[in-house]
Amino acid sequence: MNKRIGRLGMIFGVLYLILFVQLNRVQFFGAQRLRDNPINSRGLIREFGQARGRILTADGVVVARSVPGSGSFDYVREYPESDLFAHVTGYQSLNVGATGLEREYNDELSGTKLEQQVATIGDLFRHRDSTATLTLTIRDDVQRVARDALGERRGSVVAMDPRTGEILALWTWPSFDPNLLAATDGVAANKAYEDLLADPADPLLAKSYRELFFPGSTFKLVTATAALDTGRVTATTPVMPESNSYQPIPAGRPIANFAGETCGGNLFEILRVSCNTSFAEIGAEWVGPKAMIATAEAYGFNSVPPIDLPAAAASKFPTDYGKRLADVQHYRGGTAEAGGPAPIALPNGDVGIYENTARLAQASIGQNDVAATPLQMAMVAAAIANEGALMAPHVVSSVAAADGRVYSSYEPRIWRVSSSRTVAETMRRAMIEVAETGTATRLEIPGYVVGGKTGTAQLGTNPPNSHAWIVGFAGPPDGPAEVAVAVIVEAQKGASEQTGGRVAAPIGKAVMEAVLGVG
Amino acid sequence: MTTAGHIRRAWHAVDPARLGNTTPQIAALRPRRVELGLIVMIGTIVIYAMVSLSTTSARPAHLGPFLASMLVLLAVAHLATRRFAPAADPVLLPMALLLNGIGYVMISRLTDAVDGGSDLAGLQAIWTAVGVAAFTVTLIAVPRVRTIARYRYLMGLAGVALLILPLAPGLGRSINGARIWASVGPVNFQPGEFAKLALAAFFAAYLVDSRELLRARIEPRDLAPIALAWVISLVVMTLEKDLGSSLLFFALFVVVLWIASERAVFLAIGSALFAAGAFMAWSTFAHVQRRVDVWLDPWADPRGAGFQIVQASFALAGGGLTGTGLGRGEPGRIPFAESDFIFAAIGEELGLAGSVAILMAFMVLIGSGLRIALRARGGFEKLFAVGLTTLLGVQAFVIMGGVLRVVPLTGITLPFVSYGGSSLVSNYILLALLIRMSHEQRTIGPGGAS
Repeated sequence: MNKRIGRLGMIFGVLYLILFVQLNRVQFFGAQRLRDNPINSRGLIREFGQARGRILTADGVVVARSVPGSGSFDYVREYPESDLFAHVTGYQSLNVGATGLEREYNDELSGTKLEQQVATIGDLFRHRDSTATLTLTIRDDVQRVARDALGERRGSVVAMDPRTGEILALWTWPSFDPNLLAATDGVAANKAYEDLLADPADPLLAKSYRELFFPGSTFKLVTATAALDTGRVTATTPVMPESNSYQPIPAGRPIANFAGETCGGNLFEILRVSCNTSFAEIGAEWVGPKAMIATAEAYGFNSVPPIDLPAAAASKFPTDYGKRLADVQHYRGGTAEAGGPAPIALPNGDVGIYENTARLAQASIGQNDVAATPLQMAMVAAAIANEGALMAPHVVSSVAAADGRVYSSYEPRIWRVSSSRTVAETMRRAMIEVAETGTATRLEIPGYVVGGKTGTAQLGTNPPNSHAWIVGFAGPPDGPAEVAVAVIVEAQKGASEQTGGRVAAPIGKAVMEAVLGVG
Repeated sequence: MTTAGHIRRAWHAVDPARLGNTTPQIAALRPRRVELGLIVMIGTIVIYAMVSLSTTSARPAHLGPFLASMLVLLAVAHLATRRFAPAADPVLLPMALLLNGIGYVMISRLTDAVDGGSDLAGLQAIWTAVGVAAFTVTLIAVPRVRTIARYRYLMGLAGVALLILPLAPGLGRSINGARIWASVGPVNFQPGEFAKLALAAFFAAYLVDSRELLRARIEPRDLAPIALAWVISLVVMTLEKDLGSSLLFFALFVVVLWIASERAVFLAIGSALFAAGAFMAWSTFAHVQRRVDVWLDPWADPRGAGFQIVQASFALAGGGLTGTGLGRGEPGRIPFAESDFIFAAIGEELGLAGSVAILMAFMVLIGSGLRIALRARGGFEKLFAVGLTTLLGVQAFVIMGGVLRVVPLTGITLPFVSYGGSSLVSNYILLALLIRMSHEQRTIGPGGAS
């Protein structure tokens, strides 16, 4: 009988092996598919009703917290500042999940990180509040100034510390009240969500870092940097001829200045008055595609910025200019037409004319397929103000336990080196000149060093309307810049180079003053 | 690994041939030291689980008294084996206590999940005490297992009577669609849980007698018993709507018959009869068809018929490798999480690590049970040990396999783990019988009969 008993043992062995294999399939190999099953609401309701950590601004204002709830939910998420930080904190909703920091830092806020649960041996034996408090780099006072200065106009304001990458303000109007979406009444929350979704102004979208706009003339900062980088252009040479139109080669629509004005001069001068014709020519014929792409990408274009918010948009700079046709000299050499550049000796060889050099001419003044987030343009100003070093932008400075013990704090790090120190210094001086005597005089703060660049991204001519831009930086006379800003006011009436300076610059000024503590 | 080594050494040590003049009583205490070590380890695990549960849940209300009574029960069970079966296999009792302990912690946690639910945890604690008492009484009352064989026909009669008791008017109760309950005065119990023990004894005793006949040649009349068992199991399935028990009895009979006759043909006949019965049931009963349909595709109606099995899959998947942690999952969403589906609840909160631990504990129990069968001297003990082990192994497989969708779901408890007094008490008696046999074969001499 013993032989049969041994076989019985084997039969049991096989049966239990089947169970073991199936357990591994359900709990490990196929587990993710089951967890993602749309019917699976496990976790949602429980997580929704749990206490989460608070979110505080840099100056200690509570912008998100959990308060004891009623009914089937132990806690309800509350956003005391209503719409002011909606695009930063995001919301935690029962129906559509979480966005913003609520999503990005879900593990920390809900306390499911292992290091938060088991900080000491003692934690193995008692239940401790493991949720973490997030402290933002954003200041409540600066954020309020941004909101008040922009008012009821659609637009975005981004302020950051060029030295660290800390975001100081991140505001977009229209915004929304996240409390509506975090409501425990699922039906009401769903209705609020549907309404916000149907709003053509799209208040749910954090346009400051998720929407792409034509950067217009603010992009000339990138073109100027690229030009200086090549070594062919300096602060004083060449002197671009006065012109009211630039004819791209080999072919293309002529590029004009606003209101048909005539302009030209050295780099500082053409930046000061924001001369389209000169910048189009410099980008197309002096810098060329390779160096333009390289510099744009060194400022962060064509990459998702490493900000600690979900779904940030990558700004775009076109990279396809077709085949190289011939040297610039082939078209321009020796037989300069009236108004064309005099043939010069190019130290690093000829950048060449490509099939789509006309496209590059447009891109060089921020048109064509160039598109940037307000955050991206703030990063351009910040990199120039920080000796060419572009710091990784971030909105959370520390993650700490309820008792104040810090789990992790943000260490500033360089994301990109946008230019050499020398080039950055030249650009910085150029921007200061724009603010002192150019199109951005409304950005000036008495007693501080201020640099700026306006932009007017024309949308249509009938009636004329455009996005008004300002980017800039400011700091004390004896030290580095302490704040960089980018402001866009969408779809403003009028379309002249003055629009950006008139509409957007005062907002940028107010925000920088708030950061510096002026007034 | 060290523990296994200890166990092996301990077993060698009690082999009287190696002991020389040492008296069996003194040498026999070695396995008890191993057992004590394992029980201390398991007690620590269960107490830790209970204490950690108390940090995430309102349960248990009286942690201190609970822990004290828990320690008392562990001590009583250990002292009972020390006193009445000192030479027995040292892993059987600790494995049962581990399963019982994890099950108890889970039931406490689930009681908390169901607002206003009856105090299942408190009742389960009482059932555990009754189970340990039954374990002790069995060890005392059955000094030699062979004596049971003397009452074979009484056992057979009792088994069948208990099996059909729920059908008796006035006594039987139908709960959740299955008529498997009997009420005697204030006590509700499932007679089937005890019937299986009596039938295991009867089959073992009956087949050890007719073994020689069965081995020689199959006469038509030899097939009468297997036909009878088949009919009984069909009666249970159709009249009591208890698929799980029906399968269990039939498996018990076929396995014991196969081992006794040493003829694989009985295994084939048994399987064929089972298949025929299953097909008949499937084609006749709507509830059986539903079970099979849900088994084949629970996703066809995940919010209706397939709800329980789909929720169990979600629970297991949610647990992943290490589980959500005690009190942090949502096992309360699975209907009958405290009884039939407790395995899914454990998988959710303790993860793959926890569910595999349950699986391993059952494999250790089965292995120990079959080893007792191998070493048994007498034919009756051998078949009885096989029968008891088969009951335990098949029952655990059927319900875990049902939860995991390896086999169609049949409502049946997970031995030692699920909530339920009848199941707990009958399985402690089963355990005591195995331990008694283990003690016998280790004190009188090495096994080797047949």
